[in-house]
Amino acid sequence: MDQFLQQLINGVSIGSIYALMAVGYSLVYSIMNFSNFAHGGVIMLSAYMGYFAIVLLKVSFGGALLLATLGATLIAVLIERIAYRPLRKRSAPTLYFIISAMGMSILLENLVIATIGPQFKTYPIIFAESTIQLGNLSISKMDIFMLIIAAVALVGLVFFLNKTRTGIAVRAATYNARASQLMGVNVDRIVSIVFALGGALAGIAGVFFGIRYTVYAQAGIITNKAFVAAVFGGLGSLPGAIVGSILLGIIETFVAAWRSQLRDLTTFAILIAVLVFKPTGLMGKNTEDKA
Amino acid sequence: MEYYLQVLTLAGINLMVVLGLGLLTGFTGLFSFGHAGFMCIGAYTSAILTVTLKVPFVVALIASGLVAGAISLLLGRLTLKLKGDYFLIATLGFGESVRLIFDNIEPLGGARGFSGIEKNSNFISVWLVCIIGIFFLIRLMNSRYGRNFKAIREEELASATIGIDVFKTKLLSLFISAIYAGIGGSLYAHYMTFIKPTNFQLIKSTEFTIMAIIGGLGSITGSVIGALLLTVLPELLRFVADWRMVIYGAAVVILIIVRPKGIAGGKEFKDFFFIVWIRRLFNKIFTKEDPGNGGKL
Amino acid sequence: MKKLKKLALLVLIMSMCLTLIVACDSSDKEQGNVAGKTIKIGWIGSLTGDQSVFGICERDTIQMLIDDVNKDGGIAGKQLEFIPYDTRGTPEEAVNAVNRLVNNDKVLVILGPNSSGLAIPIASVLEKGKVADIATVATNEKVTVDNGVLKPYNFRVCFIDPYQGGVAATFAYKEQGFKTAAILSDISDEYSQGMAEYFKKTFEDLGGEIVAEEAFKTGDVDFRPQLTKIKEKAPDCIFLPYFYKEVSLTAQQADEIGIKTIFIGGDGWTSDQLMEMGGAYLQGSFIVNHVDFDDPDVQGLTNHFLETYPGQPVQLNTFMGHDAFVTAKAAIEKVAAAESKISSEAIAKALNDIEVKGITGTIHISPEDHNPIGKEAAIITIVGEEYKFVMKYAADMSN
Repeated sequence: MDQFLQQLINGVSIGSIYALMAVGYSLVYSIMNFSNFAHGGVIMLSAYMGYFAIVLLKVSFGGALLLATLGATLIAVLIERIAYRPLRKRSAPTLYFIISAMGMSILLENLVIATIGPQFKTYPIIFAESTIQLGNLSISKMDIFMLIIAAVALVGLVFFLNKTRTGIAVRAATYNARASQLMGVNVDRIVSIVFALGGALAGIAGVFFGIRYTVYAQAGIITNKAFVAAVFGGLGSLPGAIVGSILLGIIETFVAAWRSQLRDLTTFAILIAVLVFKPTGLMGKNTEDKA
Repeated sequence: MEYYLQVLTLAGINLMVVLGLGLLTGFTGLFSFGHAGFMCIGAYTSAILTVTLKVPFVVALIASGLVAGAISLLLGRLTLKLKGDYFLIATLGFGESVRLIFDNIEPLGGARGFSGIEKNSNFISVWLVCIIGIFFLIRLMNSRYGRNFKAIREEELASATIGIDVFKTKLLSLFISAIYAGIGGSLYAHYMTFIKPTNFQLIKSTEFTIMAIIGGLGSITGSVIGALLLTVLPELLRFVADWRMVIYGAAVVILIIVRPKGIAGGKEFKDFFFIVWIRRLFNKIFTKEDPGNGGKL
Repeated sequence: MKKLKKLALLVLIMSMCLTLIVACDSSDKEQGNVAGKTIKIGWIGSLTGDQSVFGICERDTIQMLIDDVNKDGGIAGKQLEFIPYDTRGTPEEAVNAVNRLVNNDKVLVILGPNSSGLAIPIASVLEKGKVADIATVATNEKVTVDNGVLKPYNFRVCFIDPYQGGVAATFAYKEQGFKTAAILSDISDEYSQGMAEYFKKTFEDLGGEIVAEEAFKTGDVDFRPQLTKIKEKAPDCIFLPYFYKEVSLTAQQADEIGIKTIFIGGDGWTSDQLMEMGGAYLQGSFIVNHVDFDDPDVQGLTNHFLETYPGQPVQLNTFMGHDAFVTAKAAIEKVAAAESKISSEAIAKALNDIEVKGITGTIHISPEDHNPIGKEAAIITIVGEEYKFVMKYAADMSN
């Protein structure tokens, strides 16, 4: 029983990081209708920014988190401007967006390797006594902290989307960009805002990822897990992305506990299963077929 | 000289995979991040056949392509009915999963690899296969199937309304591209003489896609240019090693925005200005002028 | 029909070009490459990519040693010329680089690489060009002997995985008295798999019990599921045969879930970054290494390196690179003394049973498997923020 609970805790911990990433990913997907591969690059850069904020600028952990989030937001908006807007203006096929995103992610990853170097970096220890012991179970303080911050961020996002004018405009645009344009919504601005939101979430996720798992240039690959989680929960549904991520984290952990080498295969299997049996995911809306 | 031949041999091996990928992405509009997986299947199939079962190389070569193709049918069956994005991530997952599966198969060496493969891939054998491959692809693209592929790429919904079986056509495109990748894998195995699952990682799939894009999607010539250029260039640019991938990434983004059709620009060898000029010359010399009526009605 | 005619013409032209190209390649490869005004020594390794830290260190060490020899007048009156190439960590690049060294630059011997994945595929190129290669830290048996067949042009100066895994297991069982062990390995890394396999085999042969065998994939960063399972089985020790980054993460996460067991590892651990990141969680663990960093002979080389390259850290590759170089040097000297022409073929022959004093012990290459005979491992442990030497250890691998 103890082991079961411990594995459950492990799963939720992993899942919460996926959740932060998946929500940002799903948000961009719902408005742009393509998978933003560069999202992983933003997460990775955020991890680096947080690291350098602490090590070079000597700010506190909170300050680093803030700076990294801001930085990530900026980078995300910039990426949209440079890599996607020109294509959007020309109504280019989705394929081009994907290619551009791919190019961007390769660019970012290797830019870091070429400039900062291939060696990974470690965040200095944030919490002195890092775990809380509950009987035989161990919960990491960092995990609890992350969960709280993630929850706060997500609640903030939901509030923004539902209670503010801009938020409503975003939701309108994700539903039907053309119509909302007719209603006076500046779609360009909305797109930038969406990317900014996604970037902010990625920023938070990046710092946490860096603390937990070190800072390295190839970290962007984790976005694939985020995509599977988002699909699993239902692309376009934010609660779905969260639920999907936590579930994915838990399932992965238990599979790893059963047959550790099969962990990544499971992720792929889940994806295929979802796509074949219920493409809209667990909580997804029925998105119209885009031919 | 030997050195240059070897580099060109490697280019040829890459070309086989890029030709397949070009068919899938450039002509049918489907993006794949998992072709290294088909290459891996082809490589191991060929290795097992030639080393353990002592099958002749040519047979193994063809078999590798067919096995990879067969697996692609399975994958396609599961994923092709869905939108492009899903297919893309599915291929990514596929590529990584294939590698992981081979890591776990101890009898084939697992992560420690499969060695002792005969070096059958040299300049002549590889480029012979390439020429046959190109020839076949040209014939294919000029046929009804080729037109169907292009139709789907341009406007899927409209193609369905005029009676093209979208699913079957996409499947055919995937099937052929997988065969090419599988054959490429076999050639690879017989060039390296030693293969490990890590040879077929995501980064390899990405490199092939970059070759196809930079060379020019929608053009067989583009695939050739892409494969040759990006195999030879790293050798010439050893000093920019660290920045090579940065340049590639930037090149892809810039190209897709400014000139999506890549270097070849969607045209084929025969469309190039220089070649057209040679052809006109050729025609003038070798064909009798038809006196006709000077073009008047 | 016109199209077919055009195609036929194209094919004809191409095949003519082909025959021309092939006819040009007719160099006489009887003796491999021969020394001209200088003695060319090639090197391949990762100068970019994840392993670049090791590659750069190795190349710099050898450059330093070559400069020393040249200052002393070179070998047989000829200066040494060093030609290093980057493999970018991929086998295709390794093959290209070796091709270039053997056929374009016409080197007499090649040093490196430090990875079996690169050392194995280059064999055919070496054989065709008759140039020998001395691998520095490539530990897969297949580098020199594959399916019972000895590769005439591949040599190495390090011990092999079967040995290393065996040493770890024997040390754990006999010296430390651990009766049960758990193994966590990287399923997609050959080095890890090799080590794990032989650790398990030796440990069980000695009478120990492997209570848990878990795995992960290169690139994974969360090991808690596997560690939780291992904790349940309460082993006396846990074997972590992989590289320092994942080891640091593993140790940290193990501590997090309350594992207090001793860890054991191999030469993939030794790095300053291991200490920085995971040192706190690896106190008292044991590492099977090629060399004892506190050995006075070793100190000499370490200081020389630090003086030549201030600010750069010394790695294992410094010592292995050194040994590869002195082995090559000994072979070149032997050939220079005996024959009029220094050819790569002759050097390869001389390497077959060369014996030279290296920094990691005496390097005596065996003509049967081109591996160094009877090399001892150095067991080191982590105390505080330093590596401390425990003992030299040689496992009895008579089976």
